[in-house]
Amino acid sequence: MSTASVSASASPSSNLLPSSSFSPPSASSDSRLGPLRRLSQLRAYTQHHFSSPQHTAASSSSSSSSANSQRVSRRHTLGNRVSWFSAASTGPESSPSTVETSNRAPCPESEHQSTFARYSSVFFPSYRGLELDLRSQPSPSTESPSPPLRNETRRDIMARPRGSSQAVDARSNGEVSSAGNIHPSALESPDPVVSESPSTSSPRPKQKATIRFFPHQDSHASSRPSLPFIPISRTLPSDSCVIRVGRYSERDGLPVANPTEPSDAPVGFKSKVVSRKHCEFMYLNGQWHVKDVGSSSGTFLNHMRLSQPNIASRLYTIKDGDIVQLGIDFRGGEEMIFRCVRIRIECNRSWQQQPNEFNKNTENLIKNLGKGDTADYSGCRECSICLGSVLRPYQCLFMAACAHVWHYKCVSRLIHTPDYPMFQCPNCRAYTDLSAEVDDTNDLEEEEEESKSASAEDKPESARSETHTPQPEANPATPPSQTAGDERRLETRLPVEAGLAANIENMRLQDLDASDDNSAPLPAPTSNPDSAPSNSNHEIPGWQSLTQSPSSSHTRQAPLRAETPVRSESSDENPLTPLNDSGPLALDGRAAMP
Amino acid sequence: MGSQKRIAKELAELTETAPEGITVKLADESNLYIWNVYMEGPENSPYQNGTFHLTLTLPTEYPFKPPTVSFRTKIYHPNVTNDDKGSMCLGMLRADEWKPSSRIQAVLQFARQLLAEPMPDDAVEGRIAEQYKSDFARYEEVAREWTRKYASSSSSGRA
Repeated sequence: MSTASVSASASPSSNLLPSSSFSPPSASSDSRLGPLRRLSQLRAYTQHHFSSPQHTAASSSSSSSSANSQRVSRRHTLGNRVSWFSAASTGPESSPSTVETSNRAPCPESEHQSTFARYSSVFFPSYRGLELDLRSQPSPSTESPSPPLRNETRRDIMARPRGSSQAVDARSNGEVSSAGNIHPSALESPDPVVSESPSTSSPRPKQKATIRFFPHQDSHASSRPSLPFIPISRTLPSDSCVIRVGRYSERDGLPVANPTEPSDAPVGFKSKVVSRKHCEFMYLNGQWHVKDVGSSSGTFLNHMRLSQPNIASRLYTIKDGDIVQLGIDFRGGEEMIFRCVRIRIECNRSWQQQPNEFNKNTENLIKNLGKGDTADYSGCRECSICLGSVLRPYQCLFMAACAHVWHYKCVSRLIHTPDYPMFQCPNCRAYTDLSAEVDDTNDLEEEEEESKSASAEDKPESARSETHTPQPEANPATPPSQTAGDERRLETRLPVEAGLAANIENMRLQDLDASDDNSAPLPAPTSNPDSAPSNSNHEIPGWQSLTQSPSSSHTRQAPLRAETPVRSESSDENPLTPLNDSGPLALDGRAAMP
Repeated sequence: MGSQKRIAKELAELTETAPEGITVKLADESNLYIWNVYMEGPENSPYQNGTFHLTLTLPTEYPFKPPTVSFRTKIYHPNVTNDDKGSMCLGMLRADEWKPSSRIQAVLQFARQLLAEPMPDDAVEGRIAEQYKSDFARYEEVAREWTRKYASSSSSGRA
């Protein structure tokens, strides 16, 4: 998808916006193309922090074209994915789509993984839509901490009928402070969840993180229906990307619900109780996090408000099945536009979408269907609805993306619900967007793309090989000495990336500060070099060499690669504050939190 | 009526290989949807030596809707209402927690586990829960007393 490819290269750059305002305008238009597009999407978000008239004006031209293509794509979201894709690839975005190809290349594992994807897609048509997830991190450990959380969640749900209003519940200080216990954040002091997960869950740091948002309706009769929306899926082009969530705005263009390629496009909801900048989702150390960015009506995680009105919150880890609510019903929520948004989070499901014993078994079963005696039914499972054997030839079966299988007749009741095309697996509760997968015809093209990129990777290219080497070491689980050494090597070898990365990290910090502290409206552009003592020497040269770089492909890849060294560095020193590259600033932000 | 097949299957399984301390039979042979369950109080709990009569009611939409479990025998327990309904608060039986793949056997085992380990935080009888937490000895005493009074073999079946 077009926005995905653009954002892959551009989103970190768009964070650099303030820097670019004093950068020489001689930057090659080629390398700016991506950022500008991206910028147009993020304009609504960024312009509050960094006023940058020249770029806003410059981007308006490109924004119209990208908005057009988005409108086209939106129209085809439910219908024909093919024309959507072709519209993007033949349209003005054709050059960024090549960026996408090169961005995918640095993932060495992608080849054999995609082999499985190709392989499995024959037998698992339902996997097609999830193909992107195949490269995301297997995270067994992120699942393991969830039982206690689930307990809390259940208790919370059970307690709900007793409290007349969720809002009142969540506002009480006790509840808020207890949120800290349940959802330890990355900024909180030692937290087994965050610190432990990278060691076990990131053998492939380059893998992409996927999160999906589903509308959640409270099952209790007392609560009104929340805002309906079609399920939204995002796969981050790079870990440094942030998914911004806010009120739908015409200026952002139509929201892209389910890009088939990595994207961190903002998510907009058509509700007045959602602030323009409401909350953000980010992926740190193998964990998804949510953060209120100063919304007026609040972000609630499992019914607990994250922060006071108009104050940004710290980061809270979120897990599969968590409920994030944006705002509170206004005027009784009678009108759709005044209803709060309840999002059911689906993340950390990648283990399910990767080859594992369970779905390989299923695959074998399907292959062997009807082969008679030679069939290997060892992994045979029963239909959990009728408790009869699933696997008889000449029966209509239904298999969900999680590789659970039922008789179609048994499960049809769960398919044809008012929630259709959302399907919830009755075995594991995984949600599937049935409409998204049925017509997913991009697979072939994506595979071709991937194989292309894989072959392109074989060519000895210095930039690429540099990319590969730091990857395994970037894993925080490896011995610190090794990581540190590698980092040093990286910093000397890739001043551009290091500087860029520092820039990115600092920008985000500044961003956070700016939203926390209204008295310092625009600290980012000026204080940036000073606030990063450790990296400041790299920063300016890094940026300059970036803008003057004649090699546009190098420039585009830089942001992606930049993420790794910084992450390993910060998580080395303090695994809990990956964003806090410049001292106690982030902690100041947290101090304002309840 | 696809549910009947499944219910019959589950019933057959439960009758053949009954889980420890649990006996099931249909309340009325012609009606698959109401079961009588006899549950022995778990050892090392104040309900030991008691036999509790429960009614398991299956909705016609089963397994898409959860069954309901109620105690016919009076029981002194934080998670069972102390009225003539004797309804039990089981997390997995709530509409939003229920999964069609859950089975009656699991429900009954969960119910029995709740006898062994009450969950005072999810109580329906707040007073008993309070006592369970603050004055466990007294709670045990009353529970044992009630078990002897209402659930001992001589008086079992009496509501």
